[in-house]
Amino acid sequence: MSTLGALLGQRLRRDRWQLVLWVGGTALLAIAAVGGVQQSYGTEADRQEVLAAVAANPVIMLFRGLPSGAELDAFTLFLILPFLAMMAAFMSSFLAVRHTRMDEELGRAELVAATPAGRTAPLVATVLHGVGANLALAVLVAACFAGAGYAPLGSIVSGIAAAAVGIVFLGVGLVAAQLMRTSRGANSLGVWVLLGTFLASGLGNALGTPASDLQRIESSWLTWLSPFGWAENARPFADDAWGPLALCAVVAAVLTALAFALQRLRDLDGSFIAERAGRLQAPASLGSPLGLVWRLARGSVVGWAIGGLLTGALATSLGAVIDQIGTKIPAVEELFAALSKDGSLEQGMVVIFFTIVGVLAACAAVQTVTRARQEETHGTAEQVLAAPVGRVRWLLAFLLVGLVAAAVVCAAAVLGAWLGVQAKGADASLAWDALVAGAGQLAAAAVFLVLTALVFVLTPRLTIALGWVLVLVALLLGMFGPLFQLPDWVTNLSPVAVTPVATADGVDVKGLWWLLAIVAAGGALALGLMRRRELAAGD
Amino acid sequence: MTTVIRTSDLVKRYGRTRALDGLDLQVDAGQVHGFLGPNGAGKSTTIRILLGLARASSGVASVFDAHPWRDAVALHRRIAYVPGDVSVWPNLSGGEAIDFLARLRGAAHRDAGYRAEKARLVEAFQFDPRKKGRAYSKGNRQKVALIAAFAVPAELYILDEPTSGLDPLMELVFRREIARVRAAGATVLLSSHILSEVEQLCDRVSIIRAGRVVESGTLAELRHLTRTEVSFDAGNGAGAADGADASDGADASADAAFAGLTGIHDAAVADGRARFTVDSDRVAGILPALASRNVRGLRIEPPSLEELFLRHYGDEIGDGAGEASAAASAHTREGARR
Repeated sequence: MSTLGALLGQRLRRDRWQLVLWVGGTALLAIAAVGGVQQSYGTEADRQEVLAAVAANPVIMLFRGLPSGAELDAFTLFLILPFLAMMAAFMSSFLAVRHTRMDEELGRAELVAATPAGRTAPLVATVLHGVGANLALAVLVAACFAGAGYAPLGSIVSGIAAAAVGIVFLGVGLVAAQLMRTSRGANSLGVWVLLGTFLASGLGNALGTPASDLQRIESSWLTWLSPFGWAENARPFADDAWGPLALCAVVAAVLTALAFALQRLRDLDGSFIAERAGRLQAPASLGSPLGLVWRLARGSVVGWAIGGLLTGALATSLGAVIDQIGTKIPAVEELFAALSKDGSLEQGMVVIFFTIVGVLAACAAVQTVTRARQEETHGTAEQVLAAPVGRVRWLLAFLLVGLVAAAVVCAAAVLGAWLGVQAKGADASLAWDALVAGAGQLAAAAVFLVLTALVFVLTPRLTIALGWVLVLVALLLGMFGPLFQLPDWVTNLSPVAVTPVATADGVDVKGLWWLLAIVAAGGALALGLMRRRELAAGD
Repeated sequence: MTTVIRTSDLVKRYGRTRALDGLDLQVDAGQVHGFLGPNGAGKSTTIRILLGLARASSGVASVFDAHPWRDAVALHRRIAYVPGDVSVWPNLSGGEAIDFLARLRGAAHRDAGYRAEKARLVEAFQFDPRKKGRAYSKGNRQKVALIAAFAVPAELYILDEPTSGLDPLMELVFRREIARVRAAGATVLLSSHILSEVEQLCDRVSIIRAGRVVESGTLAELRHLTRTEVSFDAGNGAGAADGADASDGADASADAAFAGLTGIHDAAVADGRARFTVDSDRVAGILPALASRNVRGLRIEPPSLEELFLRHYGDEIGDGAGEASAAASAHTREGARR
C-alpha cells in the first residue's frame, strides 16, 4: 500500500501546478458563464428568444449544449456545459498519457517497474490520480454554481457531469497510451477522439427534435454515441438525470479495464502498433534546415489542415441553413452582425467559423516554432548548428515552415468552404467571403508565429508555455468576447478578431495593416536578435 | 607548425559560476590533442565556444585564425563534431540522420564517394541504419554522430567524449578511424575522461581543472614530472645474500629489501612484494643495485596518465593520505572503464 502511496504522491507532486490551472480554469469558465448569462440574457424572455432561435437554427448547437428550458440555471448549462466537459476531457486525456506512455518513452517507467512497484501499480496510481483530479473539478464546479445561488442538486449534477466526461477520457487516454508507441501519438489519438465525439454530440443535437414550445430539444441517436452527449442529457437543473452519467461511469470502467488487459499482454515500452523500419537513406529533400523542419512538421500540418478543411466545409454548408430561418431573433442576429460588421447572417457564420480556422492555423504555426525550442533542449539543434548552418538561417527555416503550415491550414479551409458551397448549392459569393476570411486569418496566424519566435529568442524557457497561452487567450477573446459583450477594445486585442471580413458592400480590412506591420517588425526583430543569441545547453 | 586552435585567458560565466576561468589552450595542426578532465571541469563549455554555439565572456579564442562566433558558418565547413551525448530525431531513421548531417557539411545527394564511405563505416561500426531514432540505445546514437563525422572529410575533428556508451570492440573501430584521419593530416581535439583512450591516441594532452588548463604537454613530458613505480618479490628471494634474516620482523625485512637503493620514495612491503617509487629520470640509476641482489618478479611501471591526473585531482577526492589516494585511484579506474 505504501508503494501505491508513494506513486500517487509523486504524481500529485509532478502535476500540482498543472492541475491547479486545469481545475481552476474550468471553475473560472463556470463563473464567467454565470456572469455572462446574467448580463447578456437577463430576462426569461431573452432566453426564450434565444432558445427558439436555436431550435430554428440548430447550427448554433455545434458550439453550445443541449437546450433544456429557459430557466436561468438550465440555460447557463446549455451555454457552458460542453466546454466544462471539454476542459475535464483534455485534462484527463493528457494526464493519462503523461503518467504512462510518456514515462515509458523517457525510460522512467523502467526504473519504477524494476522496484517492487512492478508494472501494474503505476497504472493503478495513474487511475486514482486521474479520478481524484476529476473529483476535485466536480467539487469546484458544483461550488461555483451553488455559490451563484443555483439549486444545490443541479449544481452537483453539473460538476459530476463535467467530471464524468473527464473520467471517460481518462480511460481513452489510458487505452491510447497502450496502443501507441509514443506519447505524442497517444495524445494525438486522444485529441482526435475528443474532437470527434464533441462534434458528434453537437451534430446529434442539431439533428434532434425540438419540443413544440421550442425551449427544449431531444437529442438524436448520434449524440448518444458521445460522452459529451451523455453529460448534456443529464440536463442539470432541468431533469438532473443520473442515468446518462452512469453510462459514462460504465464506459470509463470498461476502457480502464481494457487498458489493464492490454498492459498485461505487452512488454514494457512495447506497443501494439508496430514501428515500421525507416529509410536506409535520406530523401533528396532532407539536406537543409528547411528540409529538416518540414520533415519534422509535416505530419502535424496535415492534421491541422484536415481540421481546417472540415471547419471550412461547415462554415458554408451550415451557413446555408441559416438562410431558411424565417424568424428573426434580435439577440442572435446581433451576435452575428457584431462579428460580420453588419453583413448577412450567412457571412456572419463564415466569420465565426473562420475565427476557428485562424486559431487552427495559429496552432500549426506556433507548434512549428516551438519545435525550434524542442530541438534546442533535445540537443539536436547543437548538431545542426555545429555544421555550416548560421543561427539566423536555422530560425528562418522554422519561421518559413510555420508560415507555410498556417497557409496550408487556411487554404484547406477555403477549399472546404468552396466544397460546402458546391454541395449545398449555396450562394457562390460565400466562397469569396471564405477566401477573404481565410487570407485574413493567415495574417493573424502569422502574428502568433512571430510572437512565439520572439519569445523563443528572448526567453527560451517560456517558448512552449507562452506560445500556446497566447493562442488560447486569443481564442477565448475572439469567441467569447462578443458573446459576453466585452468592450470592443478587449476583443480586438485578439488577432483573430481583427482580420478582414467580407461585408454586404465589399471588404472591411479592419486591423489587417496592423497585423502585417506586427508580422514584419516582429519577424525582423526575432531574426536580428538571433544573431546574438547563444544556443542554450541541452538538458 | 601552424596552430589550429588557440585560446588565451578564455572566461565563460553562467550567472555567478565561472565555467571557464582563464583557459589557455593551443592545438597545433596534425596533432591528436587530448583534452582531459572530469565532468564539470569545463571541457564541453570550451568546445561550445570553439564551435560558436556559445560566446566567451572575455578572452580570445580562434580556430584556423578565425573567430569561432562570428565566422561560425565558414569554420564549420572545415570541422566535424561529435557531441558526448548524441540526440537524434525520434522519427528519422539512423541512416537519414547520418545523411542529413553529412549533407549539411557538404556531401552531395548522389556523391558516390560519400556513399561508399558511409557504407564502410556502417559496416565497421555494425550499425543498423533502418531503425527510427527513438529506438536507438545510447551507444547507437553515438554511432550516428561518429559515422556522420567520419564519412565527410574534415580538417579539424572536435570530439567531446565520443566513445561514451560504445563497447570495447567499437572503441577499437573508433581508434582506427582516428588513426586514419590523423594519417590524412587532420587535427583532432579529443575531450575525454577515459585515460587509457587518451594515452593510446593522443600526441599531446591538456589537463583541465575548474576551467583552467593546469598541465599541457606531450605524454613523455608529463611523465617526466612523475615517478616510476618499481616492485619485486619480497619473499625469500629478496636480499638472498643473507637468507637468515627472512624470519625477522617485517621492518627488518623491509629495511633489508631496500638496502643500498638510493633516491627512492614511498618504500613499503605489502602482500609479499616490495614497492617503491623513483623519479622517472633516475630509473636507470637503480638498475645495477636491483641486478646485484638478483630480485625476482621485477616490475617497472611508468607513470600512468591516471597518476598524472590524480596529482591534480587527488586532493579533491581525499586529503592527501595514502589510503584516500589509493581509494581515489580505484575510483578513477572505475570511471575510466565506463
